[in-house]
Amino acid sequence: MNNKIKEFILDYIQREYTLPDDVDVMELNYVDSGYIDSLGLIQFIATLEDEFNIAFTDEELASSDIKVVGKLVDIISRKLEK
Amino acid sequence: MQSQLANLFYENSLKTPNKEAIWCDGQSKTYKEMADYVSQYSNLLLKLGVKYGDHIAIPMNNSIESVALFFSAADLGVCLVPLNPTLPLEAIKSAMKFGDMKHLIARKAFYNECQKNGGLDVPGIKICLDNDYPDTVPFSCINEMPTTRPVVNNINGDESLILTMTSGSTGNPKPIDISQKNKIDRAMAHIRVYNISKDDRILAATPLYHSLAERLVILPLILGATSILLPRFTPQIWLNCAKEQKTTFTIAVSAQLAQILEVLKQDDSIVIDSFRCIVSSSALLEEKVKYELIDKLKCEFHEMYGTSETSTITNICFQKSPDKQKSVGLPFDEASIKILKEDAEANFDIECNVGEVGEIACKTSLLCKGYYHQEEMMKMQMKDGYFRTGDLGYLDEDGYLYFSGRKKEIIITGAVNVYPHDIDVVLERLPEIKECAAFSYPDDRLGEVVAVALVPNEDAEINIRSVKTYCARNLADFQQPHKFFVVDQLPKNTMGKLQRMNVYNYVQSLGLDKE
Repeated sequence: MNNKIKEFILDYIQREYTLPDDVDVMELNYVDSGYIDSLGLIQFIATLEDEFNIAFTDEELASSDIKVVGKLVDIISRKLEK
Repeated sequence: MQSQLANLFYENSLKTPNKEAIWCDGQSKTYKEMADYVSQYSNLLLKLGVKYGDHIAIPMNNSIESVALFFSAADLGVCLVPLNPTLPLEAIKSAMKFGDMKHLIARKAFYNECQKNGGLDVPGIKICLDNDYPDTVPFSCINEMPTTRPVVNNINGDESLILTMTSGSTGNPKPIDISQKNKIDRAMAHIRVYNISKDDRILAATPLYHSLAERLVILPLILGATSILLPRFTPQIWLNCAKEQKTTFTIAVSAQLAQILEVLKQDDSIVIDSFRCIVSSSALLEEKVKYELIDKLKCEFHEMYGTSETSTITNICFQKSPDKQKSVGLPFDEASIKILKEDAEANFDIECNVGEVGEIACKTSLLCKGYYHQEEMMKMQMKDGYFRTGDLGYLDEDGYLYFSGRKKEIIITGAVNVYPHDIDVVLERLPEIKECAAFSYPDDRLGEVVAVALVPNEDAEINIRSVKTYCARNLADFQQPHKFFVVDQLPKNTMGKLQRMNVYNYVQSLGLDKE
Protein backbone atom coordinates (compact mmCIF):
# COMPACT_ATOMS: atom_id res chain seq x y z
CA MET A 1 0.00 0.00 0.00
CA ASN A 2 2.84 2.33 0.89
CA ASN A 3 4.12 2.08 -2.66
CA LYS A 4 0.74 3.01 -4.05
CA ILE A 5 0.56 6.04 -1.77
CA LYS A 6 4.09 7.07 -2.67
CA GLU A 7 3.40 6.66 -6.38
CA PHE A 8 0.25 8.78 -6.16
CA ILE A 9 2.09 11.56 -4.30
CA LEU A 10 5.06 11.52 -6.66
CA ASP A 11 2.84 11.56 -9.74
CA TYR A 12 0.98 14.54 -8.32
CA ILE A 13 3.99 16.62 -7.37
CA GLN A 14 5.62 15.92 -10.74
CA ARG A 15 2.69 17.26 -12.73
CA GLU A 16 4.77 20.23 -13.83
CA TYR A 17 8.39 19.21 -13.19
CA THR A 18 10.27 15.96 -13.16
CA LEU A 19 12.25 15.41 -9.97
CA PRO A 20 16.00 15.29 -10.52
CA ASP A 21 17.54 11.80 -10.34
CA ASP A 22 19.73 12.66 -7.38
CA VAL A 23 16.90 13.67 -5.06
CA ASP A 24 16.07 11.50 -2.05
CA VAL A 25 12.34 11.53 -2.70
CA MET A 26 11.33 10.27 0.74
CA GLU A 27 13.17 13.18 2.37
CA LEU A 28 11.90 15.74 -0.12
CA ASN A 29 9.99 18.69 1.32
CA TYR A 30 7.81 19.34 -1.72
CA VAL A 31 6.67 22.76 -0.45
CA ASP A 32 10.12 24.16 0.39
CA SER A 33 11.41 22.90 -2.95
CA GLY A 34 8.52 24.55 -4.75
CA TYR A 35 6.92 21.50 -6.36
CA ILE A 36 3.64 22.51 -4.74
CA ASP A 37 3.15 26.14 -3.81
CA SER A 38 1.03 27.66 -1.11
CA LEU A 39 -1.89 28.04 -3.51
CA GLY A 40 -1.64 24.44 -4.60
CA LEU A 41 -1.31 22.91 -1.14
CA ILE A 42 -5.00 23.17 -0.29
CA GLN A 43 -5.86 21.41 -3.53
CA PHE A 44 -3.24 18.71 -2.94
CA ILE A 45 -4.46 17.95 0.59
CA ALA A 46 -8.09 17.78 -0.54
CA THR A 47 -7.09 15.51 -3.43
CA LEU A 48 -5.29 13.14 -1.03
CA GLU A 49 -8.30 13.08 1.30
CA ASP A 50 -10.53 12.29 -1.64
CA GLU A 51 -8.25 9.66 -3.19
CA PHE A 52 -7.65 7.72 0.03
CA ASN A 53 -10.94 8.55 1.73
CA ILE A 54 -9.24 9.96 4.79
CA ALA A 55 -9.35 13.21 6.74
CA PHE A 56 -6.28 14.98 8.06
CA THR A 57 -6.56 16.48 11.54
CA ASP A 58 -5.79 20.15 12.17
CA GLU A 59 -2.61 19.09 14.00
CA GLU A 60 -1.46 17.07 11.02
CA LEU A 61 -2.16 19.96 8.68
CA ALA A 62 -0.23 22.34 10.91
CA SER A 63 2.77 20.03 11.19
CA SER A 64 5.72 20.33 8.84
CA ASP A 65 5.74 16.51 8.49
CA ILE A 66 2.88 16.67 6.03
CA LYS A 67 5.14 18.54 3.61
CA VAL A 68 7.76 15.77 3.46
CA VAL A 69 7.00 12.93 1.05
CA GLY A 70 8.13 10.04 3.27
CA LYS A 71 6.40 11.38 6.37
CA LEU A 72 3.24 12.10 4.42
CA VAL A 73 3.24 8.51 3.16
CA ASP A 74 3.51 7.34 6.79
CA ILE A 75 0.67 9.59 7.95
CA ILE A 76 -1.66 8.34 5.22
CA SER A 77 -0.61 4.74 5.73
CA ARG A 78 -1.33 4.92 9.48
CA LYS A 79 -4.77 6.37 8.78
CA LEU A 80 -5.59 3.59 6.36
CA GLU A 81 -4.59 0.93 8.90
CA LYS A 82 -7.03 2.26 11.49
CA MET B 1 9.83 38.43 -44.43
CA GLN B 2 11.04 36.25 -41.58
CA SER B 3 9.84 36.83 -38.04
CA GLN B 4 11.41 40.02 -36.69
CA LEU B 5 11.16 38.65 -33.14
CA ALA B 6 13.03 35.48 -34.09
CA ASN B 7 15.48 37.51 -36.23
CA LEU B 8 16.54 39.60 -33.23
CA PHE B 9 17.30 36.43 -31.27
CA TYR B 10 19.11 34.68 -34.14
CA GLU B 11 21.22 37.79 -34.77
CA ASN B 12 22.45 37.61 -31.17
CA SER B 13 23.35 33.98 -31.66
CA LEU B 14 25.61 35.04 -34.53
CA LYS B 15 27.12 38.01 -32.66
CA THR B 16 27.74 36.26 -29.34
CA PRO B 17 27.45 32.51 -29.97
CA ASN B 18 29.30 31.49 -26.82
CA LYS B 19 27.58 33.84 -24.41
CA GLU B 20 25.17 32.30 -21.90
CA ALA B 21 21.68 32.87 -23.24
CA ILE B 22 19.59 31.16 -20.63
CA TRP B 23 19.82 29.34 -17.31
CA CYS B 24 17.04 27.33 -15.70
CA ASP B 25 17.14 24.80 -12.90
CA GLY B 26 20.83 23.98 -13.18
CA GLN B 27 20.86 23.77 -16.99
CA SER B 28 22.13 26.47 -19.29
CA LYS B 29 22.51 27.10 -23.00
CA THR B 30 24.74 29.49 -24.94
CA TYR B 31 23.21 31.59 -27.70
CA LYS B 32 24.51 29.13 -30.32
CA GLU B 33 23.10 26.14 -28.43
CA MET B 34 19.79 27.91 -27.86
CA ALA B 35 19.54 28.93 -31.54
CA ASP B 36 20.14 25.31 -32.58
CA TYR B 37 17.52 24.16 -30.09
CA VAL B 38 14.93 26.68 -31.32
CA SER B 39 15.59 25.58 -34.90
CA GLN B 40 15.24 21.93 -33.95
CA TYR B 41 11.94 22.69 -32.24
CA SER B 42 10.71 24.55 -35.34
CA ASN B 43 11.79 21.70 -37.60
CA LEU B 44 10.02 19.17 -35.38
CA LEU B 45 6.77 21.16 -35.49
CA LEU B 46 7.03 21.58 -39.27
CA LYS B 47 7.72 17.90 -39.78
CA LEU B 48 4.66 17.01 -37.72
CA GLY B 49 2.49 19.22 -39.89
CA VAL B 50 2.12 22.39 -37.83
CA LYS B 51 1.32 25.26 -40.19
CA TYR B 52 1.42 29.06 -40.21
CA GLY B 53 -1.51 30.43 -38.16
CA ASP B 54 -2.12 27.20 -36.22
CA HIS B 55 -2.79 27.43 -32.49
CA ILE B 56 -0.88 25.23 -30.04
CA ALA B 57 -2.07 24.71 -26.46
CA ILE B 58 0.56 24.04 -23.84
CA PRO B 59 0.10 23.54 -20.10
CA MET B 60 3.34 25.39 -19.57
CA ASN B 61 6.07 24.97 -16.98
CA ASN B 62 9.14 27.15 -16.53
CA SER B 63 11.80 25.43 -18.60
CA ILE B 64 14.25 26.08 -21.39
CA GLU B 65 12.00 24.05 -23.74
CA SER B 66 9.11 26.42 -23.05
CA VAL B 67 11.26 29.45 -23.86
CA ALA B 68 12.54 27.81 -27.05
CA LEU B 69 8.93 27.23 -28.07
CA PHE B 70 8.16 30.98 -27.90
CA PHE B 71 10.83 31.64 -30.50
CA SER B 72 9.91 28.63 -32.66
CA ALA B 73 6.29 29.74 -32.65
CA ALA B 74 7.33 33.25 -33.68
CA ASP B 75 9.57 31.90 -36.44
CA LEU B 76 6.79 29.71 -37.86
CA GLY B 77 3.99 32.27 -37.41
CA VAL B 78 2.02 30.01 -35.09
CA CYS B 79 0.21 31.04 -31.95
CA LEU B 80 0.71 29.60 -28.47
CA VAL B 81 -1.96 29.27 -25.85
CA PRO B 82 -0.06 28.76 -22.58
CA LEU B 83 -2.26 27.20 -19.91
CA ASN B 84 -1.97 26.85 -16.19
CA PRO B 85 -1.26 23.09 -15.79
CA THR B 86 -3.43 22.94 -12.65
CA LEU B 87 -6.60 24.05 -14.42
CA PRO B 88 -9.36 21.46 -14.20
CA LEU B 89 -10.24 19.67 -17.43
CA GLU B 90 -13.44 21.63 -17.89
CA ALA B 91 -11.47 24.87 -17.97
CA ILE B 92 -8.90 23.37 -20.37
CA LYS B 93 -11.72 22.33 -22.72
CA SER B 94 -13.25 25.78 -22.52
CA ALA B 95 -9.87 27.42 -23.19
CA MET B 96 -9.23 25.09 -26.14
CA LYS B 97 -12.58 25.94 -27.64
CA PHE B 98 -12.26 29.69 -27.18
CA GLY B 99 -8.65 29.69 -28.31
CA ASP B 100 -9.26 27.61 -31.46
CA MET B 101 -6.52 25.28 -30.38
CA LYS B 102 -5.43 22.67 -32.86
CA HIS B 103 -2.35 21.04 -31.36
CA LEU B 104 -1.34 20.12 -27.83
CA ILE B 105 2.08 19.91 -26.16
CA ALA B 106 1.89 18.54 -22.60
CA ARG B 107 3.40 16.29 -19.99
CA LYS B 108 2.40 12.70 -19.37
CA ALA B 109 0.58 13.63 -16.15
CA PHE B 110 -1.63 15.99 -18.12
CA TYR B 111 -2.53 13.35 -20.73
CA ASN B 112 -3.22 10.89 -17.92
CA GLU B 113 -5.51 13.34 -16.17
CA CYS B 114 -7.41 13.96 -19.41
CA GLN B 115 -7.74 10.24 -20.01
CA LYS B 116 -9.15 9.68 -16.52
CA ASN B 117 -11.71 12.43 -17.04
CA GLY B 118 -13.21 11.51 -20.35
CA GLY B 119 -10.46 12.56 -22.75
CA LEU B 120 -9.73 15.69 -24.71
CA ASP B 121 -10.44 16.21 -28.38
CA VAL B 122 -7.28 17.43 -30.09
CA PRO B 123 -7.71 17.77 -33.86
CA GLY B 124 -4.01 18.22 -34.60
CA ILE B 125 -0.79 16.75 -33.26
CA LYS B 126 -0.03 15.78 -29.68
CA ILE B 127 3.48 15.92 -28.25
CA CYS B 128 4.42 14.42 -24.89
CA LEU B 129 7.22 16.34 -23.17
CA ASP B 130 8.28 13.56 -20.81
CA ASN B 131 8.24 9.83 -21.44
CA ASP B 132 6.22 8.03 -24.06
CA TYR B 133 2.48 8.24 -24.04
CA PRO B 134 0.05 6.45 -26.39
CA ASP B 135 -0.97 8.43 -29.49
CA THR B 136 1.53 11.20 -28.84
CA VAL B 137 4.88 12.08 -30.38
CA PRO B 138 7.71 11.95 -27.82
CA PHE B 139 9.45 15.29 -27.45
CA SER B 140 12.79 13.49 -27.54
CA CYS B 141 12.35 13.35 -31.35
CA ILE B 142 13.67 16.92 -31.29
CA ASN B 143 17.20 15.49 -30.99
CA GLU B 144 16.92 13.99 -34.48
CA MET B 145 15.98 17.30 -36.09
CA PRO B 146 18.40 19.47 -38.10
CA THR B 147 19.77 22.59 -36.43
CA THR B 148 19.31 24.78 -39.50
CA ARG B 149 16.75 27.55 -39.13
CA PRO B 150 13.76 26.86 -41.37
CA VAL B 151 12.76 29.63 -43.75
CA VAL B 152 9.23 30.91 -43.26
CA ASN B 153 8.98 34.12 -45.22
CA ASN B 154 5.46 35.39 -44.80
CA ILE B 155 5.63 36.79 -41.26
CA ASN B 156 4.51 40.42 -40.99
CA GLY B 157 4.55 40.77 -37.19
CA ASP B 158 0.77 41.09 -36.77
CA GLU B 159 0.44 37.36 -36.27
CA SER B 160 -0.92 36.36 -32.87
CA LEU B 161 1.96 34.93 -30.88
CA ILE B 162 0.30 34.31 -27.53
CA LEU B 163 -3.28 34.06 -26.36
CA THR B 164 -3.43 34.62 -22.61
CA MET B 165 -6.52 33.09 -21.07
CA THR B 166 -7.97 35.33 -18.40
CA SER B 167 -10.89 33.39 -17.03
CA GLY B 168 -10.53 30.25 -15.03
CA SER B 169 -13.17 27.66 -15.48
CA THR B 170 -16.74 27.97 -16.58
CA GLY B 171 -17.05 31.56 -17.71
CA ASN B 172 -16.27 32.61 -21.23
CA PRO B 173 -12.53 33.14 -21.28
CA LYS B 174 -11.28 36.45 -22.61
CA PRO B 175 -8.22 35.35 -24.58
CA ILE B 176 -5.89 38.36 -24.70
CA ASP B 177 -4.34 38.34 -28.13
CA ILE B 178 -0.68 39.41 -28.18
CA SER B 179 1.02 39.76 -31.56
CA GLN B 180 4.70 39.31 -32.35
CA LYS B 181 4.96 43.07 -32.84
CA ASN B 182 3.31 43.63 -29.43
CA LYS B 183 5.98 41.49 -27.80
CA ILE B 184 8.84 43.36 -29.47
CA ASP B 185 7.36 46.79 -28.70
CA ARG B 186 6.73 45.85 -25.08
CA ALA B 187 10.24 44.47 -24.67
CA MET B 188 11.80 47.60 -26.22
CA ALA B 189 9.78 49.92 -23.97
CA HIS B 190 10.98 48.09 -20.86
CA ILE B 191 14.58 48.00 -22.09
CA ARG B 192 14.45 51.79 -22.44
CA VAL B 193 12.68 52.60 -19.16
CA TYR B 194 14.88 50.35 -17.04
CA ASN B 195 18.13 50.93 -18.96
CA ILE B 196 18.51 47.20 -19.53
CA SER B 197 21.71 46.25 -21.31
CA LYS B 198 23.40 43.17 -22.74
CA ASP B 199 25.31 42.85 -19.48
CA ASP B 200 22.16 42.29 -17.45
CA ARG B 201 21.22 38.90 -16.03
CA ILE B 202 17.45 39.07 -15.94
CA LEU B 203 15.50 36.98 -13.49
CA ALA B 204 12.03 35.68 -14.37
CA ALA B 205 10.37 34.10 -11.34
CA THR B 206 6.67 33.90 -12.19
CA PRO B 207 4.96 31.17 -14.23
CA LEU B 208 5.53 31.35 -17.98
CA TYR B 209 1.83 31.15 -18.69
CA HIS B 210 1.61 34.75 -17.43
CA SER B 211 2.65 37.69 -19.55
CA LEU B 212 5.16 39.01 -16.98
CA ALA B 213 7.49 36.01 -17.20
CA GLU B 214 7.02 35.79 -20.97
CA ARG B 215 8.30 39.36 -21.20
CA LEU B 216 11.20 38.63 -18.87
CA VAL B 217 12.48 35.71 -20.95
CA ILE B 218 11.86 37.15 -24.42
CA LEU B 219 13.44 40.51 -23.54
CA PRO B 220 16.97 39.28 -22.70
CA LEU B 221 17.13 36.96 -25.69
CA ILE B 222 16.25 39.65 -28.23
CA LEU B 223 18.62 42.08 -26.52
CA GLY B 224 21.58 39.72 -26.20
CA ALA B 225 21.50 39.61 -22.39
CA THR B 226 21.13 36.52 -20.19
CA SER B 227 17.82 35.08 -19.04
CA ILE B 228 17.70 33.43 -15.62
CA LEU B 229 14.46 31.48 -15.33
CA LEU B 230 13.36 30.27 -11.92
CA PRO B 231 11.68 26.88 -12.30
CA ARG B 232 9.50 27.20 -9.23
CA PHE B 233 9.07 29.97 -6.70
CA THR B 234 9.76 29.87 -3.01
CA PRO B 235 11.48 32.84 -1.37
CA GLN B 236 14.46 30.66 -0.51
CA ILE B 237 14.84 29.34 -4.07
CA TRP B 238 14.56 32.92 -5.37
CA LEU B 239 17.28 34.15 -3.00
CA ASN B 240 19.60 31.22 -3.74
CA CYS B 241 19.16 31.72 -7.45
CA ALA B 242 19.72 35.49 -7.26
CA LYS B 243 22.90 34.92 -5.29
CA GLU B 244 24.34 32.08 -7.35
CA GLN B 245 23.38 33.50 -10.72
CA LYS B 246 24.26 37.09 -9.81
CA THR B 247 21.05 38.42 -11.25
CA THR B 248 20.96 42.15 -11.92
CA PHE B 249 17.38 42.95 -12.91
CA THR B 250 13.94 41.56 -12.27
CA ILE B 251 10.29 42.45 -12.26
CA ALA B 252 8.73 40.61 -9.34
CA VAL B 253 5.17 40.47 -8.14
CA SER B 254 4.61 42.23 -4.85
CA ALA B 255 3.40 39.08 -3.05
CA GLN B 256 6.75 37.43 -3.85
CA LEU B 257 8.74 40.42 -2.62
CA ALA B 258 6.91 40.43 0.70
CA GLN B 259 7.79 36.74 1.20
CA ILE B 260 11.40 37.33 0.16
CA LEU B 261 11.70 40.13 2.71
CA GLU B 262 10.44 37.82 5.45
CA VAL B 263 13.27 35.37 4.77
CA LEU B 264 15.85 38.17 4.54
CA LYS B 265 14.72 39.51 7.89
CA GLN B 266 15.04 36.10 9.53
CA ASP B 267 18.53 35.40 8.25
CA ASP B 268 21.04 38.23 8.31
CA SER B 269 23.69 36.10 6.66
CA ILE B 270 21.94 36.22 3.28
CA VAL B 271 23.54 39.01 1.30
CA ILE B 272 22.26 39.74 -2.19
CA ASP B 273 24.28 42.52 -3.76
CA SER B 274 24.11 41.86 -7.48
CA PHE B 275 20.83 43.62 -8.27
CA ARG B 276 21.02 46.90 -10.13
CA CYS B 277 17.26 47.36 -10.28
CA ILE B 278 14.12 45.62 -9.02
CA VAL B 279 10.61 46.41 -10.16
CA SER B 280 7.53 45.48 -8.15
CA SER B 281 4.35 44.77 -10.06
CA SER B 282 0.77 43.51 -9.81
CA ALA B 283 -0.32 45.07 -6.51
CA LEU B 284 0.85 47.88 -4.29
CA LEU B 285 3.62 47.04 -1.88
CA GLU B 286 3.22 48.24 1.66
CA GLU B 287 5.50 51.20 2.22
CA LYS B 288 7.27 49.52 5.12
CA VAL B 289 8.02 46.46 2.99
CA LYS B 290 9.31 48.70 0.24
CA TYR B 291 11.81 50.52 2.46
CA GLU B 292 13.01 47.36 4.15
CA LEU B 293 13.59 45.77 0.76
CA ILE B 294 15.54 48.79 -0.47
CA ASP B 295 17.64 48.58 2.67
CA LYS B 296 18.33 44.84 2.25
CA LEU B 297 18.84 44.63 -1.51
CA LYS B 298 20.55 48.00 -1.98
CA CYS B 299 19.44 48.68 -5.52
CA GLU B 300 17.21 50.96 -7.52
CA PHE B 301 13.62 50.14 -6.65
CA HIS B 302 10.68 50.74 -8.99
CA GLU B 303 7.00 50.08 -8.88
CA MET B 304 4.93 49.65 -12.03
CA TYR B 305 1.26 49.62 -12.84
CA GLY B 306 -0.35 47.98 -15.84
CA THR B 307 -2.71 45.32 -17.12
CA SER B 308 -2.26 42.28 -19.36
CA GLU B 309 -4.13 44.10 -22.13
CA THR B 310 -2.05 47.31 -22.02
CA SER B 311 1.31 46.08 -20.73
CA THR B 312 2.96 48.49 -18.28
CA ILE B 313 1.27 51.89 -18.12
CA THR B 314 3.22 53.75 -15.42
CA ASN B 315 6.48 53.42 -13.54
CA ILE B 316 8.11 55.13 -10.60
CA CYS B 317 11.58 54.92 -9.10
CA PHE B 318 11.30 55.56 -5.39
CA GLN B 319 14.81 56.80 -4.83
CA LYS B 320 14.33 59.36 -7.62
CA SER B 321 10.84 60.53 -6.59
CA PRO B 322 10.96 60.92 -2.82
CA ASP B 323 7.93 63.21 -2.72
CA LYS B 324 5.65 60.79 -4.63
CA GLN B 325 5.97 57.73 -2.44
CA LYS B 326 2.34 56.68 -2.66
CA SER B 327 2.11 57.02 -6.44
CA VAL B 328 2.48 54.30 -9.08
CA GLY B 329 4.27 56.83 -11.24
CA LEU B 330 4.22 58.56 -14.59
CA PRO B 331 3.07 56.99 -17.85
CA PHE B 332 5.53 55.29 -20.20
CA ASP B 333 6.23 57.40 -23.33
CA GLU B 334 3.98 54.98 -25.22
CA ALA B 335 1.00 55.63 -22.94
CA SER B 336 -1.34 58.40 -21.87
CA ILE B 337 -3.90 58.24 -19.08
CA LYS B 338 -7.37 59.62 -18.48
CA ILE B 339 -9.44 59.21 -15.36
CA LEU B 340 -13.09 58.69 -16.29
CA LYS B 341 -16.31 59.04 -14.37
CA GLU B 342 -19.87 58.45 -15.37
CA ASP B 343 -21.86 61.57 -16.01
CA ALA B 344 -25.36 60.62 -14.92
CA GLU B 345 -27.05 63.39 -16.88
CA ALA B 346 -25.19 62.99 -20.12
CA ASN B 347 -25.12 59.19 -19.75
CA PHE B 348 -21.54 58.90 -20.90
CA ASP B 349 -18.13 59.08 -19.30
CA ILE B 350 -16.31 62.33 -18.74
CA GLU B 351 -12.82 63.09 -17.45
CA CYS B 352 -12.24 63.60 -13.75
CA ASN B 353 -10.52 66.63 -12.28
CA VAL B 354 -7.06 66.44 -10.73
CA GLY B 355 -7.25 64.50 -7.46
CA GLU B 356 -10.69 63.05 -8.25
CA VAL B 357 -11.02 59.27 -8.19
CA GLY B 358 -12.41 57.53 -11.27
CA GLU B 359 -11.71 54.63 -13.60
CA ILE B 360 -8.18 54.53 -14.98
CA ALA B 361 -8.22 54.47 -18.79
CA CYS B 362 -5.13 54.23 -20.95
CA LYS B 363 -4.23 54.85 -24.58
CA THR B 364 -1.03 53.05 -25.52
CA SER B 365 0.82 51.75 -28.52
CA LEU B 366 1.55 48.64 -26.43
CA LEU B 367 -2.14 47.66 -26.37
CA CYS B 368 -2.82 44.02 -27.28
CA LYS B 369 -4.47 43.11 -30.58
CA GLY B 370 -7.75 42.55 -28.75
CA TYR B 371 -9.70 39.69 -27.25
CA TYR B 372 -9.46 36.80 -29.65
CA HIS B 373 -12.73 36.45 -31.59
CA GLN B 374 -14.48 38.71 -29.09
CA GLU B 375 -14.20 42.09 -30.79
CA GLU B 376 -17.39 43.37 -29.18
CA MET B 377 -16.05 42.76 -25.71
CA MET B 378 -12.93 44.76 -26.53
CA LYS B 379 -15.01 47.59 -28.01
CA MET B 380 -17.00 47.76 -24.79
CA GLN B 381 -13.80 48.35 -22.85
CA MET B 382 -12.61 51.13 -25.15
CA LYS B 383 -13.55 54.81 -24.97
CA ASP B 384 -12.13 57.13 -27.68
CA GLY B 385 -9.08 54.91 -28.09
CA TYR B 386 -8.58 54.56 -24.32
CA PHE B 387 -8.77 51.14 -22.69
CA ARG B 388 -10.80 51.08 -19.46
CA THR B 389 -8.74 49.12 -16.99
CA GLY B 390 -11.47 48.46 -14.43
CA ASP B 391 -9.16 49.95 -11.81
CA LEU B 392 -9.79 53.09 -9.84
CA GLY B 393 -7.30 55.88 -9.33
CA TYR B 394 -6.53 59.56 -9.67
CA LEU B 395 -3.89 61.85 -11.13
CA ASP B 396 -2.11 64.61 -9.20
CA GLU B 397 -1.20 68.03 -10.54
CA ASP B 398 2.11 66.67 -11.90
CA GLY B 399 0.45 63.82 -13.80
CA TYR B 400 1.45 61.08 -11.34
CA LEU B 401 -1.04 58.24 -11.07
CA TYR B 402 -2.35 56.95 -7.74
CA PHE B 403 -4.09 53.58 -7.51
CA SER B 404 -7.20 53.53 -5.31
CA GLY B 405 -8.77 50.12 -5.82
CA ARG B 406 -10.62 48.00 -8.28
CA LYS B 407 -13.90 48.69 -9.99
CA LYS B 408 -14.17 45.21 -11.41
CA GLU B 409 -14.94 42.29 -9.18
CA ILE B 410 -11.72 40.40 -9.21
CA ILE B 411 -9.57 38.70 -6.62
CA ILE B 412 -5.80 38.92 -7.03
CA THR B 413 -4.07 36.19 -5.08
CA GLY B 414 -0.29 35.99 -5.31
CA ALA B 415 -0.55 38.12 -8.50
CA VAL B 416 -2.96 35.70 -10.17
CA ASN B 417 -6.32 37.09 -11.28
CA VAL B 418 -9.28 35.07 -10.06
CA TYR B 419 -12.74 35.77 -11.41
CA PRO B 420 -15.15 35.18 -8.51
CA HIS B 421 -18.05 34.35 -10.79
CA ASP B 422 -16.12 31.29 -12.04
CA ILE B 423 -16.08 29.99 -8.48
CA ASP B 424 -19.73 30.84 -7.76
CA VAL B 425 -20.88 28.91 -10.80
CA VAL B 426 -18.96 25.77 -9.84
CA LEU B 427 -20.08 25.79 -6.19
CA GLU B 428 -23.71 26.53 -7.00
CA ARG B 429 -23.85 23.19 -8.80
CA LEU B 430 -23.76 21.47 -5.41
CA PRO B 431 -27.31 20.48 -4.39
CA GLU B 432 -26.85 21.69 -0.81
CA ILE B 433 -25.84 25.18 -1.92
CA LYS B 434 -28.50 27.71 -2.81
CA GLU B 435 -26.16 30.61 -3.49
CA CYS B 436 -22.49 31.35 -3.35
CA ALA B 437 -20.36 34.49 -3.43
CA ALA B 438 -16.60 34.22 -3.79
CA PHE B 439 -14.83 37.31 -2.50
CA SER B 440 -11.45 38.73 -1.68
CA TYR B 441 -10.08 38.13 1.82
CA PRO B 442 -6.93 39.93 3.00
CA ASP B 443 -3.86 37.75 3.51
CA ASP B 444 -0.39 38.67 4.76
CA ARG B 445 1.50 36.35 2.41
CA LEU B 446 -0.52 36.48 -0.79
CA GLY B 447 -2.11 39.91 -0.49
CA GLU B 448 -5.55 38.39 -0.96
CA VAL B 449 -6.97 34.90 -0.88
CA VAL B 450 -10.25 33.51 -2.15
CA ALA B 451 -13.05 33.23 0.41
CA VAL B 452 -16.59 32.01 -0.21
CA ALA B 453 -19.87 32.80 1.50
CA LEU B 454 -22.29 29.91 1.09
CA VAL B 455 -26.04 29.98 1.57
CA PRO B 456 -27.46 26.48 2.15
CA ASN B 457 -30.64 25.28 0.51
CA GLU B 458 -33.64 24.88 2.76
CA ASP B 459 -33.26 21.81 4.99
CA ALA B 460 -29.79 21.18 3.63
CA GLU B 461 -26.58 21.15 5.61
CA ILE B 462 -23.23 22.18 4.21
CA ASN B 463 -20.28 19.94 5.03
CA ILE B 464 -17.23 22.15 4.55
CA ARG B 465 -14.86 19.21 4.16
CA SER B 466 -16.81 17.76 1.27
CA VAL B 467 -17.09 21.22 -0.30
CA LYS B 468 -13.29 21.49 -0.07
CA THR B 469 -12.86 18.16 -1.81
CA TYR B 470 -15.30 19.21 -4.50
CA CYS B 471 -13.31 22.44 -5.00
CA ALA B 472 -10.05 20.48 -5.28
CA ARG B 473 -11.57 18.46 -8.10
CA ASN B 474 -13.30 21.23 -9.95
CA LEU B 475 -11.23 24.38 -9.51
CA ALA B 476 -7.63 25.24 -10.36
CA ASP B 477 -5.10 25.62 -7.55
CA PHE B 478 -5.20 29.42 -7.61
CA GLN B 479 -9.00 29.34 -7.41
CA GLN B 480 -9.17 27.21 -4.25
CA PRO B 481 -11.11 28.98 -1.48
CA HIS B 482 -9.04 29.41 1.67
CA LYS B 483 -11.96 30.54 3.82
CA PHE B 484 -15.52 29.21 3.97
CA PHE B 485 -18.42 31.01 5.61
CA VAL B 486 -21.94 29.64 5.85
CA VAL B 487 -24.49 32.45 5.93
CA ASP B 488 -28.28 32.73 5.77
CA GLN B 489 -28.21 35.27 2.97
CA LEU B 490 -25.87 37.36 0.84
CA PRO B 491 -25.69 41.15 0.82
CA LYS B 492 -27.72 42.43 -2.15
CA ASN B 493 -28.98 45.76 -3.35
CA THR B 494 -32.64 46.62 -3.69
CA MET B 495 -32.66 45.16 -7.19
CA GLY B 496 -31.49 41.86 -5.79
CA LYS B 497 -28.01 42.17 -7.30
CA LEU B 498 -25.19 40.68 -5.28
CA GLN B 499 -22.97 43.33 -3.69
CA ARG B 500 -19.80 41.33 -3.78
CA MET B 501 -17.63 44.16 -2.50
CA ASN B 502 -19.68 44.10 0.73
CA VAL B 503 -19.45 40.38 1.46
CA TYR B 504 -16.23 40.71 3.46
CA ASN B 505 -17.72 43.37 5.73
CA TYR B 506 -20.89 41.34 5.97
CA VAL B 507 -19.17 38.18 7.28
CA GLN B 508 -17.14 40.35 9.63
CA SER B 509 -20.26 42.01 10.98
CA LEU B 510 -21.66 38.56 11.70
CA GLY B 511 -18.50 37.73 13.64
CA LEU B 512 -17.90 34.71 11.39
CA ASP B 513 -14.26 35.37 10.56
CA LYS B 514 -13.20 35.01 14.18
CA GLU B 515 -13.73 31.26 14.04
